[in-house]
Amino acid sequence: MTETLASWAEEFIAVFSKGGEVLLSLMGGILPTLVVLLTAVNALIRLIGVEKIEGLGRAAAQPGIQWYPVRYMVLPFLAVFFLTNPMAYTMGRFLPERFKPAFYDSAVSFVHPILGIFPHANPGELFVYTGIAAGITTLGYGLGDLAVRYLLVGLVVIFIRGIVTEAITKVMIARKENA
Amino acid sequence: MDGLNALLVKIGRSVGGVVGTLYQAGRDSVDTVIRNVIPFMAFISFIIGLILTTGVGTWIANGISGSASSLGGLLIVSVVCAIPVLSPLLGPGAVIAQIVGTLLGVEIGKGTIPAQYALPALFAINPQVGCDFIPVGLALGEAEPETVEVGVPAVLFSRLVTGPLSVVIAYLASFGLYSSSN
Repeated sequence: MTETLASWAEEFIAVFSKGGEVLLSLMGGILPTLVVLLTAVNALIRLIGVEKIEGLGRAAAQPGIQWYPVRYMVLPFLAVFFLTNPMAYTMGRFLPERFKPAFYDSAVSFVHPILGIFPHANPGELFVYTGIAAGITTLGYGLGDLAVRYLLVGLVVIFIRGIVTEAITKVMIARKENA
Repeated sequence: MDGLNALLVKIGRSVGGVVGTLYQAGRDSVDTVIRNVIPFMAFISFIIGLILTTGVGTWIANGISGSASSLGGLLIVSVVCAIPVLSPLLGPGAVIAQIVGTLLGVEIGKGTIPAQYALPALFAINPQVGCDFIPVGLALGEAEPETVEVGVPAVLFSRLVTGPLSVVIAYLASFGLYSSSN
């Protein structure tokens, strides 16, 4: 009887000591780098000044096919990098109404792919990337390859998302005006 | 003498400005880490501890690794996450994506999911990103109420297409990832 209870107690506490080990490895592993990186990037952003990218926001508002990559790749990237989540979406104010949903879609879809290399942009949601990346670390591989590919594929995906959502918005606005 | 004084004052001011900026940046980052990062680490650690020590791990392994170790399975996951009714519910704080990501990470670490699936999996668990936040995000961009009315369904429907598409792109981009070194 007591033996059963004792083994239950051990199993119970084992859950938390294992959790504690994981916590310690996370805090010892990622955290110091993250604090230093956050400080450096925050300082850089303050020294450069976020108002610098506002000009780009105005340029991206122009019609024409050559502005698509600016609107749905360059602008979301810079907005998420400099303004971080959620202030990045304020860059939408420079765009005409018909582009705003697409820009939001594009920008919000980039707040995770950027995390592999620039975790300052969305530290509260770090584990979307870090959770999966931890498995790669366990296997003994480097994370660089995954981080770079995640960022690059992310850029392609937000570009497509911007175009698709812009097209859907256009159809919906037209339908609404006819109704 | 006055000129030298002015120069010294100027140097002092700009050095002080830079140091102040760096110091403030440090304060901001420590603040973010304590408020946002460490609490989530504690929560995630508990979940990982639970998975690793109890039988939950094998149960989840059978469920998830079955669907996460093939392109078809990942596509199904991405379609489910992109369903317009579900996506706003799965979105908030990216909590679901973070938990599922962590579970997949554990399985990748154990070898039940091949390492090169890490990249498509990152997209498969996340087609719902920001779907809970569309009205607020658009409001931050100073959108008119009419735009919000159109924008919410536009983004949600777009995800049904671009969610699975992102998994396919990531799958194609994952060739050669962590497989050549085996």
